[in-house]
Amino acid sequence: MTEAENEHPEVTVLLVDDNPQNLKVLYETLKDKGYRLLIANDGEKALDLAHRHQPEVILLDIMMPEMDGYEVCERLKADPETADSAVVFLSALDDLEAKVKGFALGGADYISKPFQSQEVIARVKTHARVIRLERELQAQNRELQSDQARILNSISEGIYGLDENGIIEFANPAAGVIMRSSVEDLIGRNFFETHFSTAAECPDGLPVHATCCQGVAENQRDIRLLRADQTGFPAEYRATPKLEGEDLRGAVVVFRDITAELENEQALEEARELVREQRDQLAHTSRLTTMGEMAAGVAHEVNQPLTAITNYTRVSKRMMSAEHPNLNLLQETLDKIEAQSHRASEIIRRIRRFMKKPATGKDVLSVAALLEDTRQFAEVDARNNDGSIELLIPEDVPDIVADPIQVQQVALNLIRNALEASREIGSDLPVEVSATRAGEGFVRIAVRDYGPGLAEDAGENLFLPFYTTKEEGMGIGLPTCRSLIQAQGGEIGFERPEGGGACFFFTLPVADAPAAPSSEPSSAGAV
Amino acid sequence: MTDIQQTVYVVEDDEAVRDSLELLLKSDEKQVQTYEDAATFLADYSEEMAGCIVLDIRMPGMDGMELQKKLNEKNSILPIIFVTGHGDVPMAVDAMKEGAVDFIQKPYREEALLEKIEIALEQDLEQRRTLDEKQEIIRRVESLTPREHEIMDRMIEGQANKVIAIELEISQRTVEIHRSRVMHKMGTHSLAHLVRMVLSVKDLIDAR
Repeated sequence: MTEAENEHPEVTVLLVDDNPQNLKVLYETLKDKGYRLLIANDGEKALDLAHRHQPEVILLDIMMPEMDGYEVCERLKADPETADSAVVFLSALDDLEAKVKGFALGGADYISKPFQSQEVIARVKTHARVIRLERELQAQNRELQSDQARILNSISEGIYGLDENGIIEFANPAAGVIMRSSVEDLIGRNFFETHFSTAAECPDGLPVHATCCQGVAENQRDIRLLRADQTGFPAEYRATPKLEGEDLRGAVVVFRDITAELENEQALEEARELVREQRDQLAHTSRLTTMGEMAAGVAHEVNQPLTAITNYTRVSKRMMSAEHPNLNLLQETLDKIEAQSHRASEIIRRIRRFMKKPATGKDVLSVAALLEDTRQFAEVDARNNDGSIELLIPEDVPDIVADPIQVQQVALNLIRNALEASREIGSDLPVEVSATRAGEGFVRIAVRDYGPGLAEDAGENLFLPFYTTKEEGMGIGLPTCRSLIQAQGGEIGFERPEGGGACFFFTLPVADAPAAPSSEPSSAGAV
Repeated sequence: MTDIQQTVYVVEDDEAVRDSLELLLKSDEKQVQTYEDAATFLADYSEEMAGCIVLDIRMPGMDGMELQKKLNEKNSILPIIFVTGHGDVPMAVDAMKEGAVDFIQKPYREEALLEKIEIALEQDLEQRRTLDEKQEIIRRVESLTPREHEIMDRMIEGQANKVIAIELEISQRTVEIHRSRVMHKMGTHSLAHLVRMVLSVKDLIDAR
């Protein structure tokens, strides 16, 4: 096997005959055809060589002393190492019975003696190729299977294959690890009885049951599974129906232990809660600061009704000291006193609400009402800053879901900034507060001024803590606004409108919008 | 001198404060006129207005300080009482420098306000009286002939009749006649009074 090697790479042919003459003829016939030729002159030797070299083709004489060809063939087929070799019987026997017996024992073919060299060459070539292909196919299959096995073995999630009764037919090693059991022990057991304490009472409602019995895919989180040692653990699983054509053949269940995950989530939730608390506290501090800045204006605002009350009271007293007091006029004046005292308490109420410590929580709010209330609040400043505020709110703006105090805080902050900006350049134009529907599920509230506008390099810095363009500013106003709006599920930003000035806007979710994606982790998916 | 009809002009943007102040002042037998902003008052202003202004220092649009400046430009002599809020004292001090008679801080005791208004009205009356007197003096001065005016100026400087006669190259007798006409036209018998009268309007005459 030299020059012809390429034609049949590594094809081995075993020649078995007790007659040396026959062996010689076969050898002569097949040599230089590119095969590796092995020779055995009795059955034992043949089996030994075959076991060691796994020849593709074995030319096997039937009539041999001690062990005949049939027995050799039988034993070759019994040995997994040699079972796939193509056995071609050689015999002078030319009767049908012998041929049938040979095929029955796993023989692949038959060559009659005396054989024609062309026939021998052709048959060996054919069988060598068939076996070669078969072996390649098997090798590929094995590789494929071991790939799958490796994947199944290396997956950290547990995988079960269940039949339609819930019997575990397959379990990967991770399933064993998670269930603290060996894979062998798991296989054959009933999934429901093994992993649920309530399986005996009502298996119908159990996870995976619908997948097994009705072919409905399932996906649940945080269910409780029992291990082999009867301890429980929280798990997440996906169950997919196993189908053969139309027929339901059980389910594949992929599951994992989420104990650590839940702990992390818990820790994350606690951290979030802390952030929320701190944000609310910062917001509260910021509201206190705002009120401090507005104190003079507020005092003025409260003094107006008090002054009016003082005047009306004096007038009433004078009326009463008259000889014939005009009771109607007196009544009228007392009504005015009452109205003014309501006015004063309304201002106080608004301030107290604004100063309240933890914000009240989310609510369905009318945009127009909220902004009108905020405008009245901000007018305390508007009077001091010699500015004015104009509300532009179309009637079709939908209600929003948000924390009223925090939204008011943001709106007030933006309006006060805008008033300040307008005053800076002595603009007579009012600050415009508008609301519009923005895309699906959001309302956009914008505060536009005609002040000096924003510096070119202001940009996103505006929302960074401690960045400020004001001489007396702390730089916490806008960052606080941003965190508050983000907490409501909205966004905040600014524009440089045509015609000068600046425009700050924020969005808030509409009340009747389809469930907005929540930042909270959902506890369980639908069954 | 005839009675001057004095009015308290209230300029206040807050409706309740305005209304209550109007009732209060009316109950105190005052003539009251109210304005909801400075511009409206300014448009309504005339020299004939007598009395005083009760003016809110903080108002949207034109504020109290601005109105005061505008009125000063128009040579208004109406006394102004500024009504200020908490923390407006520095502004009030500026207003006083600009000639306001007084200021009062909200919320005020109405007696205090009424008292200040009385004082302001009194001051207005006084000013008007003085102004009327001066105008009378000016009217008299203007009735003098140039020669009489010249003689009066020399009388005020204290020149004796003889000196005047020599310098003007007229007879002493003629000087005496002019002199008695001056005294008659100016409505006085005393040279000292004449001097005081003429000096009191000197700046007004010089201004013309």
